[in-house]
Amino acid sequence: MSDVLDEVVRILTEVVGEDFLLDVEITPDTTFSDDLALESIELVALAEKLQDRYGGRVNFVSFIGGMDIDDIMAITVGQLVGYVETQTTGPR
Amino acid sequence: MAEISANGVRFHVQRLGPPEPAAGAPTVVFVHGLVMDNLSSFYYTLAGPAVDAGATVILYDQRGHGRSERTPARYAVDDGVADLCALLDTLGVTEPVYLVGNSYGGIVAARMAVATPDRVAGLVLIEASCAGPGAAAWFEDMANTLTAAALGLEYDRVQDRLHGTGQRKVARLATQANALLNGTSLIDDLGAERPLEMAELAMIDCPVLGVYGECSELADAADDLRRHIRDCRVEILPGLAHTVLREATGTLQDIFTGWLALRKTAG
Repeated sequence: MSDVLDEVVRILTEVVGEDFLLDVEITPDTTFSDDLALESIELVALAEKLQDRYGGRVNFVSFIGGMDIDDIMAITVGQLVGYVETQTTGPR
Repeated sequence: MAEISANGVRFHVQRLGPPEPAAGAPTVVFVHGLVMDNLSSFYYTLAGPAVDAGATVILYDQRGHGRSERTPARYAVDDGVADLCALLDTLGVTEPVYLVGNSYGGIVAARMAVATPDRVAGLVLIEASCAGPGAAAWFEDMANTLTAAALGLEYDRVQDRLHGTGQRKVARLATQANALLNGTSLIDDLGAERPLEMAELAMIDCPVLGVYGECSELADAADDLRRHIRDCRVEILPGLAHTVLREATGTLQDIFTGWLALRKTAG
């Protein structure tokens, strides 16, 4: 498990509560909407916490640019982790 | 940044855009619709294009909605206007802002443009009926629809039967809707609402963009804007009803950013 994946899981527990996530195994293929049943407003809260954690280069609004709502709701944990990793390890 | 207290209420707020906005760059505030809606509907649709256009963007959950505090009372449109003014004060926003409102959010935005014209640079009304008999009928229909929904939620207890993992989202939405409809004055406040008079609508002096679905029950509201507002552009989207924000997101993005760019040129 990558450090970023660990961090995304930790932040998820802040947003939706630890009790709920106890029943779910989170992998890169896990989707926020169908698998985790995250509400759209909770995904916004998750995005904000990721930006607080990793800085302004992790910009969720930019990440979802060009996606429609169905695309956004189908985002996987792996896609988000990949984006964060790209933004935090690339040239500054 | 996410939580801000204003007008005695704790609001969930998202502020997007450049840390140091360019001189004269617009500030755009998005105001969402009623009950099942929250700031995410604009966050996922028009907020990004507004940021790309150079705007500072403010999104907030109205009281009782999304992640904002659910107060027991004060859900009238005037309370919504007072909330928004207090929120802008707390955020230190003193320049006139562009208000973009969807459905009920448009009603709040239009009322604010009448009540505090100095604070509003422009209005985008998406599927909102703001004045006259059409608006009165909308308030009555909405109060009746929500009353029926409230009874259903109270007696069916859908939310209590849906606590499996796959149904968490539906259960949570039902729980929140039940708390808002059966635990606050929202429906009573809607039922007692007074729409703007046409003469008040005509007092709106800022540029207005109205966007409506061709098959919407609110088509008359588009005519009202054309008739009564001096600087007005109305777009009717073919084949759509009330859900233009979700169903025609791309078209709406183009219309909105084009209109906003013209304001910048004019300014």
